[in-house]
Amino acid sequence: MNEQQHMLTEMVDGLFAGLGPSATIEKNWPQIEELGLTTLLLPEADGGFGGSWQDALIVFRLSGYHALSLPVPEAVIAARLASGCGLQGRGTIASRSDGRLEGGRFTGTVHGAVQSAGAAYIVAPATDGGSIVLSTEGAQRKPANNLAGEGRDVWAFDGASAFAVTEDVFELGAFARVAQIAGGLDAALGMSVSYANDRKQFGRPLAKFQAVQQSLATFAGEAAAANCAAMGLAQALDRGNADYEVAAAKLRANRAVGVGTSSAHQAHGAIGFTKEYDLHPITRRLWSARSEFGGDSHWATVLGGKVITAGAHRFWADLTALTD
Amino acid sequence: MQTFAIEALSWPKQGADLRRQVRDLVAEHVHPANPADLTNCWAVADPKFSRTLGQAGLLGMTWPKEYGGHERSPLERYIVLEELLAAGAPVGAHWIADRQTGTLLLRYGHEEERRRWVPGMARGEIYACIGLSEPNAGSDLAAVRTTARRDGDGWVLDGQKVWTTNAHNAHVMIALIRSEEGSERNAGLSQFIIPMDAPGLTVRPIYDLTGGHDFNEVFFDGVRLPATALLGVEGEGWKQATAELSLERSGPERYLSCLTLLTELIRAVGPSPSDSIRTLIGQLVSETWTLRLMSASVAAQIAQGQDPALEATIVKDLGNSFEQAMPALIQAAVETDLASDAALPIMLGHLLQVSPSFSLRGGTREILKGIIARGLGLR
Ligand SMILES: Cc1cc2nc3c(=O)[nH]c(=O)nc-3n(C[C@H](O)[C@H](O)[C@H](O)COP(=O)(O)OP(=O)(O)OC[C@H]3O[C@@H](n4cnc5c(N)ncnc54)[C@H](O)[C@@H]3O)c2cc1C
Repeated sequence: MNEQQHMLTEMVDGLFAGLGPSATIEKNWPQIEELGLTTLLLPEADGGFGGSWQDALIVFRLSGYHALSLPVPEAVIAARLASGCGLQGRGTIASRSDGRLEGGRFTGTVHGAVQSAGAAYIVAPATDGGSIVLSTEGAQRKPANNLAGEGRDVWAFDGASAFAVTEDVFELGAFARVAQIAGGLDAALGMSVSYANDRKQFGRPLAKFQAVQQSLATFAGEAAAANCAAMGLAQALDRGNADYEVAAAKLRANRAVGVGTSSAHQAHGAIGFTKEYDLHPITRRLWSARSEFGGDSHWATVLGGKVITAGAHRFWADLTALTD
Repeated sequence: MQTFAIEALSWPKQGADLRRQVRDLVAEHVHPANPADLTNCWAVADPKFSRTLGQAGLLGMTWPKEYGGHERSPLERYIVLEELLAAGAPVGAHWIADRQTGTLLLRYGHEEERRRWVPGMARGEIYACIGLSEPNAGSDLAAVRTTARRDGDGWVLDGQKVWTTNAHNAHVMIALIRSEEGSERNAGLSQFIIPMDAPGLTVRPIYDLTGGHDFNEVFFDGVRLPATALLGVEGEGWKQATAELSLERSGPERYLSCLTLLTELIRAVGPSPSDSIRTLIGQLVSETWTLRLMSASVAAQIAQGQDPALEATIVKDLGNSFEQAMPALIQAAVETDLASDAALPIMLGHLLQVSPSFSLRGGTREILKGIIARGLGLR
């Protein structure tokens, strides 16, 4: 990490820790705006931070770590993709669109729009690659929630003004989820380790039982894998093309969610299964993130398809060419 | 909590050239009669190929030129290793010498011993083996009982090592031995460098469950060693051996033992396999991609002079679990006749049998997880 990244980490860590899972857009969004966080990926010439995807990883990961209930990664990505569209206000992203884009007008629906109540615009994947930026003016929102109670709304557009952009918001949404999974797993692991050290049964801390140790050690490996995958993907985005890496990273992070959430809950016993205890804001976000912007089977099909099409003789050569 | 120091990785600029060099060399020299030899290839010894690598400047890459090395960076060496393993090249003869014995000699060895062994290791002519395990000291390594007794200036060894991979090809062993009479556990241990042709030393083969011969028993019966054979500091053997295990556990061989099977699977199923095979391939590639970054990031941390012992342990454990699971996953997904003489079933059949050893050699899964748990603050 460079000096600036250390500063960014410190600033965002403190802010998100205070906001956490109970922050609301109505009450707390101004704090995000105040820091200019949504301009993280805009060029400095346009008044942004001029940040890289590795900087974004820091912010997105911490939003997962603290189970932040504000759509910060989504606003950051939306602002970046919509930068040429002249739209004002908070933007967000969605995971799917169905409909027709003709002459700068879109008619159809958008699904999985993240915490989109009050959003000025939505960036959604276009049906034929790239993305569309849609103003929400005059459009109809049907609220829906993910497992953590965060908006994943459905919108109906009827001739809404729309801009086509080439960047793929589905990939970038997947990156946000990989980063959040990485952070969420680290947080759940930390809670599990502390709990195992504090809670006593049979006259000693749970941490002294080998079965508990081995299970949390396995969990640590999965958390490490998700974090490395997130970094590998951020580096690829900074290099300019991450088609391969996004599939590999989201799939790996998704799989880590399975092991991580079950180990965390197992280590916590019944208390971790309560509304009162603060494990579920993390694990319910993790379960949601696994499905959002491509589940295991989606990305496994994409990645498997790529490798199969290239052929066996290209497999290792292509993999290593990603970083050479 | 963050257990794995995640830093952005920068790969060497000359990486692609180095890869090309290794690929050309492999294309010229690696054509095994039996496709099983392409799997778990760092257990396949071929002294001729080892010498070829030595001549090409691809062994002892990070060692000083003074000792026959090439003073290249750890990540350049990493690239060579992963290329050789991905191609299934027979690197077993020199693997241990290049990975740990040479490095350990340079770090702790008496000057005379360094001059005697290291340049030959860099040429691919001198091979090594690891003398840690004993009949009653497996996971519990501190239970070693082989003894070194002072005799004039030198030492006399008595006892036995077991599971010693490559002892039958090796010229030299570094062993962990009890050098202080009456000492207990991890105190009073020292490391020694032992020529395998020393009088009183015998090697007996142990055949593995496939009938293959990789590991051995090694007996010491009054083996005399000069004073220079003591490696590093007397009584510091435990600490040195722990550092040795970091070298032993951190390389890409800990996740790549089955990579050639995956490549063969992709070849065998052709351009339009079933959906379930397509997703299995996607899943295995995703693991491979991730483990490669994890493994390389350990190499990068070592290159920066850090000791990423916890990270290395995590990568070995994850890597072993992955390479161990792969043959069974492929067996479950693809109808295969294990009696046929096609490449896929031969490679698969071999790996199904040898993969149980992946989570034993170099420290068992349970022991690694114990180390990780300590790193997490649970023990
Ligand atoms: C292919 C191969 C090559 C090898 N090459 C070498 C070599 O070159 N040099 C060398 O010195 N050694 C070598 N070994 C030996 C290897 O290091 C040992 O097998 C390993 O350390 C385990 O020791 P063990 O086999 O005696 O098993 P044990 O220690 O008896 O263990 C048996 C089982 O019990 C578990 N167990 C043991 N203690 C605990 C505990 N405290 N908590 C939980 N579970 C536990 C183990 O994890 C394992 O599953 C090799 C082994 C193999 C399989």
